[in-house]
Amino acid sequence: MKSKAELVDELNHLMAEETEAFLRYFQLRYRLRGTDRLAAEGFFDKAMQETLDHATEIAGKIRALGQTPKLEIKLSLGGGPVKLQEALAESLEFEQQALDAYKEFLPHVAGDTMLEDFIRKQIATETEHVQEITMLLE
Amino acid sequence: METWKEFEANELTHSAAHHLLAIHELGLEYGGWARVSDIAKELAITRGSVSINLRTLKKRGYVVTDEHRMVKLSAKGLEIVQAVQSKKAAFKAFLVEVLSVSEHQADIDSCKVEHLISRETTERLAEFVEQFKHSQPAHIR
Repeated sequence: MKSKAELVDELNHLMAEETEAFLRYFQLRYRLRGTDRLAAEGFFDKAMQETLDHATEIAGKIRALGQTPKLEIKLSLGGGPVKLQEALAESLEFEQQALDAYKEFLPHVAGDTMLEDFIRKQIATETEHVQEITMLLE
Repeated sequence: METWKEFEANELTHSAAHHLLAIHELGLEYGGWARVSDIAKELAITRGSVSINLRTLKKRGYVVTDEHRMVKLSAKGLEIVQAVQSKKAAFKAFLVEVLSVSEHQADIDSCKVEHLISRETTERLAEFVEQFKHSQPAHIR
């Protein structure tokens, strides 16, 4: 089990992953071009909402641990118009990383019921996201 | 080409150069392989960012990945890293040996140009530093 300071540090990293994912979905949504753009926008709207919800939940966990969230992201998002296939492939990259990050964090919260349940739930959700995007890319 | 456009046309961005350097450094202990999480820690950015940046580096043939999402420099990537390292070393030596810039500041400034200066300039700089060192009296070399 990690110390409280280490747990908060890891939670801050996870919050950064989710916040950054939100920003990436936001930007990809408006880069989308092509015939399936209108249908795909709903997917990106949902993904934006979910990543923001996850970041909010993590911030709540940090606060419950008696700390304040520390958000550190270095990001400059550019790029021209993008087709759905490319946008999804990019999304799969950061969703997979979020899933891996939660999986690696899980052993470190063993014994803390609140955090363990939360991380397990996140793993389940992120696994679904990765599977969904993978299927869309097939 | 105008000089400022040449800066923009540089094949390797500063960020890309640092990703390659980090992979090289982290891979030294593991047969060249590095984990995305370790690269993210090394560069103090998110794993998501590393992963997206690696896509570009992979497309350009600088890195290869395996089924466990481990990453390694390709021969082309390693060549880039070695070139960047030698450029940094030459420029840093010039700053420290010739201009008497502190080690710390020279490290920062050489980092800023390490992927931008040409091989020709690097070679001339290295030659100049050597000549300069030998032109100094023995007690201050």
